[in-house]
Amino acid sequence: MRSRTLGDRTLDAFTYLVLIAMGLITLLPFANVVSKSVSEEWAIVSGKVGLYPIGFQLDTLRYVVTNSQFLHSLWISALVTVIGTLASLVVTAMTAYPLSKRELPGMGVIIVLFIFTMMFNGGIIPNYLLVRELNLIDHLGALVLPALVSVFNMLVIKSYFESLPASLEESAKLEGARNFTILFRIVLPLSGPVLATIGLFYAVYYWNDYFNPMIYINSTSLKPLQLYLQDIVMNADTSSLNRSAEELMNVPAEGVRAATVIASTIPILLVYPFLQKYFIKGVLIGSVKG
Amino acid sequence: MQTIAAADSGSIGARGKSGRWKLIRGNLDMYLLLLPGLIFLLLFKYTPMYGILIAFQDFNIFTGISGSEWVGMSQFEKLLHSDDFFRVLINTLLISLYKIVLLFPVPIAVALLLNEVRRMFFKRTIQTVIYLPHFLSWVIISGLFVTILSPTGGLVNEVIVALGGHPISFLTDNRFFRSVVVFTAGWKEVGWNAIVFIAAVAGIDQEQYEAASIDGAGRIRQMFSITLPGIMPTIVLMFILRIGSLLEAGTEQILTMYNPLVYDNGDVIGTYVYRMGLGQQDYSFSTAVGLFNSAVGFVLIVIGNALSRKFLQRSIW
Repeated sequence: MRSRTLGDRTLDAFTYLVLIAMGLITLLPFANVVSKSVSEEWAIVSGKVGLYPIGFQLDTLRYVVTNSQFLHSLWISALVTVIGTLASLVVTAMTAYPLSKRELPGMGVIIVLFIFTMMFNGGIIPNYLLVRELNLIDHLGALVLPALVSVFNMLVIKSYFESLPASLEESAKLEGARNFTILFRIVLPLSGPVLATIGLFYAVYYWNDYFNPMIYINSTSLKPLQLYLQDIVMNADTSSLNRSAEELMNVPAEGVRAATVIASTIPILLVYPFLQKYFIKGVLIGSVKG
Repeated sequence: MQTIAAADSGSIGARGKSGRWKLIRGNLDMYLLLLPGLIFLLLFKYTPMYGILIAFQDFNIFTGISGSEWVGMSQFEKLLHSDDFFRVLINTLLISLYKIVLLFPVPIAVALLLNEVRRMFFKRTIQTVIYLPHFLSWVIISGLFVTILSPTGGLVNEVIVALGGHPISFLTDNRFFRSVVVFTAGWKEVGWNAIVFIAAVAGIDQEQYEAASIDGAGRIRQMFSITLPGIMPTIVLMFILRIGSLLEAGTEQILTMYNPLVYDNGDVIGTYVYRMGLGQQDYSFSTAVGLFNSAVGFVLIVIGNALSRKFLQRSIW
């Protein structure tokens, strides 16, 4: 710290400059879109809104978040996320546990079968035809079942199970407990952190998934938030809002788009502190594994 | 029940046919636990692989695979004579290569720079900010960038006009579309991708820095002589993994951003398969294109893993 050379000071200046610039580049789009979502229409249309609101109003946001289609899509997304995450966690853990017992006949082969699907898959069309064959088009099951087990997540849980001391399970076995009981009564309660991490991986996947809803869901009443948002973002006419003529006069399309984007971002922002904490853990488990 | 469990725990490690059967019988519930995952695997992973057969048919959705006419390799011949296919292949490779060349080094630089920051509050704040976009969906990010790049009143164009330029229609102009795709991909993931390198930096032995300081090496020197070589194995591993997904140019990202005006430069294999298959219902041809994609991807991953095993003694499986 004492004798700072010219080189060190240049490095410091450069470091702070670059990192601050990166932070700003990340935040500027938000600043602009938030400002547009709360600015007056005339200011948005005339291109005056930059990084702060002009003519503050909350009507656009209020209009967007009370829109029945928005609320319905939010509900669909929440439903798919909650059910999908729970189902995925249970099935993933149930799959990972037997596979963590390499001494059992057949497990090695099954692991290879799982890993192979990480490298090669049927592709979009065969997947679509399967879902169609299963009568899952326009069914929320199409958003959960094809994504039920992520092999990567399963392997992370499996390696966590393998790291648990074998003595815990052995003593339970000696007392006559079945594997089923051991998994749910002993192993899973000890796996809190890894289950939280993987649960959040799944939750963010289900919440953000756009591709599956796009190909499997046509019905307006089943559109999750991402699909609804894409309609608003890409169709400048925002016809999917079903607005009355009077409303159209009062709410600028550009402002509605900005407000919808912001309203859809808020749920993620609310849970971001958890996400950041557990996701970093997950990335590190995943990469250390290897 | 008790006897089975006891017998089983005693037999672990026993080999031979009878030992194997005992293990299986003693752990039947283990195989039961595996059942849902196994059904999922066969139904949603391996059945679509069987469905690839339609790439060798003239598939009729009403008669199914068994009732469709086999046409051998003719879908692939069609593919080789298709201008569209070469257009999307080149777009895919270009966008993917731009992403690798321009975006792969940035997270490494971010990790190196963050390591030089001594103010923990600043460091943590920057990390919190630059990790955020990773958690947003492509739809939200498209929404943000459609807004700031809009030719009418978008932030970027307001700046361009203020500087005396003409507004640019970034998302409908073939000259700019790929740049937007690469930039937004960087905006979303650069911070997040730095995490692995930050962890690698943290794992470097601190004594090396002390020794270098005593020898009079400045921090820039230390960065290039200690930190960078220290994380080189991680860099190589990440690079190999990245090459494995060369043919994935960002299908979901492009689907949320593109439009017919930029098909010339922005249409990639994934988006093309989607439009041909589900839009025009040319199931067999689009499956053939998808199979080409999967097969090349598979070869790349296998090569990458072999390289990683050889040079780093680490493998993905």
